[in-house]
Amino acid sequence: MEELFEKIAHCVEFGKINLASPYPPDMKGQVGADELTKQAIDAGAEPDDVLKKGLVVGMEKIGIKFRDNKVFVPQVLMSAKAMSTAMEHLKPFFESGAVKRKGVFVIGTVAGDLHDIGKNLVSMMVKGSGFEVVDLGTDVNSQKFIEAVKQHPGCFVGLSALLTTTMVNMEKIVTDIKTAIPGTKVLIGGAPVSEDFKEKIHADFYSRDPQGAVDFLKRSVA
Amino acid sequence: MELQEYRFRFDELEVSIDIIEKFMGYEPGQAPEPMPQLINEVLGIAHELCDIRGGYIIKQETNINREFKTMHINGTEFDVKKIITNQLRKMDNVALFVCTAGPGISNYSKDLMHEGDFIKGYIADVVGSEIVESAMDKIQADLERQMESRGWHITDRYSPGYCGWSVGEQHKLFSFFPKDFCGITLTPSSLMQPIKSVSGVIGIGPEVRRKGYVCNMCDMVNCIYREKKDTKKADRC
Repeated sequence: MEELFEKIAHCVEFGKINLASPYPPDMKGQVGADELTKQAIDAGAEPDDVLKKGLVVGMEKIGIKFRDNKVFVPQVLMSAKAMSTAMEHLKPFFESGAVKRKGVFVIGTVAGDLHDIGKNLVSMMVKGSGFEVVDLGTDVNSQKFIEAVKQHPGCFVGLSALLTTTMVNMEKIVTDIKTAIPGTKVLIGGAPVSEDFKEKIHADFYSRDPQGAVDFLKRSVA
Repeated sequence: MELQEYRFRFDELEVSIDIIEKFMGYEPGQAPEPMPQLINEVLGIAHELCDIRGGYIIKQETNINREFKTMHINGTEFDVKKIITNQLRKMDNVALFVCTAGPGISNYSKDLMHEGDFIKGYIADVVGSEIVESAMDKIQADLERQMESRGWHITDRYSPGYCGWSVGEQHKLFSFFPKDFCGITLTPSSLMQPIKSVSGVIGIGPEVRRKGYVCNMCDMVNCIYREKKDTKKADRC
């Protein structure tokens, strides 16, 4: 079974979705994450093992490559597609409670900002690491974040921004969330943001790449 | 000066597969499969999705206050902050500009993402960005030609949302244009619709210059655009 998990991880890492997918070219004609995941479940593998030893490992590997500038956004998106396709086979187990999510991650691009590529990447990576992700979209104000946190007690919150001037809104949203629901952990990211800015606005974590956010969340629930 | 309006066809713009690959982080020709095929598919239908429009209006009554880091145009004050006041301090006139790729390409990208086709959706998003930048490059080049003919020069372009200039000032900038000019509207939080739109100012005068690569002025060290060697895109910095 371990070999099957390794194959699943390999397919996710290289974005091999299923047999029909011609990409990557050197895996053309081979089964992908989709079929292998089904195969593992049918063979009696624990769904939790399929997730943790297969899918999550693959996403982690691509996340590290992205952090190290060895791959770019489209390749991460291919991996995310392979993972989400495979995850369909695990859906019934999530719904029945046989596989537990690690936690809930609420994410959105802050008010005044419509950029969503970075936010989507983090969203996919976090989902791929076993968390439930609630994506509030773009141009999200404090109220929407607070409502989502109230609906998902104990969740983590991720704020994204690309514009320098929406950093001001980020500061307000962090303050509003922490005032409304003290103890909520807030992660921030995006081009204009830095570790110093995180300190200044009293956010809990800053990462310059999606994998950093994943690592923080995993440490926090360990 | 009267309002100048432009309309472009997609094939008039310099949006090539190499440019899209470069934007995505790859060396031209080095993007792995299936990217080149998908880029070609998006570029192949881009002309059907775009309504590329733009324009500018030149105002002569301008003033830069370096102490308060503000720009004044016809009595309207813009809080543009230090970087922009420094770059525009020698201007005599200013061109306020807007440009859009239209709603089609953004909607196409969103639909693809919604259907789970993240990669093609992302590529469509990148193509939309390059369309509006390329169109604005053409408008800026035309403005530059006109100014050069009278011995004047222009600066790079500077936009609300960048270099410390608040997006909230977008409403003031748009007040210089007719309502819904080029089909662009503003949301309550001052964001432009269609999404693939740009706006801003360009300084004009005998003493100003374009610097091209302005990322070294900006403190966004992790900016995704910073690593690109592409130039003359100050509004992204």
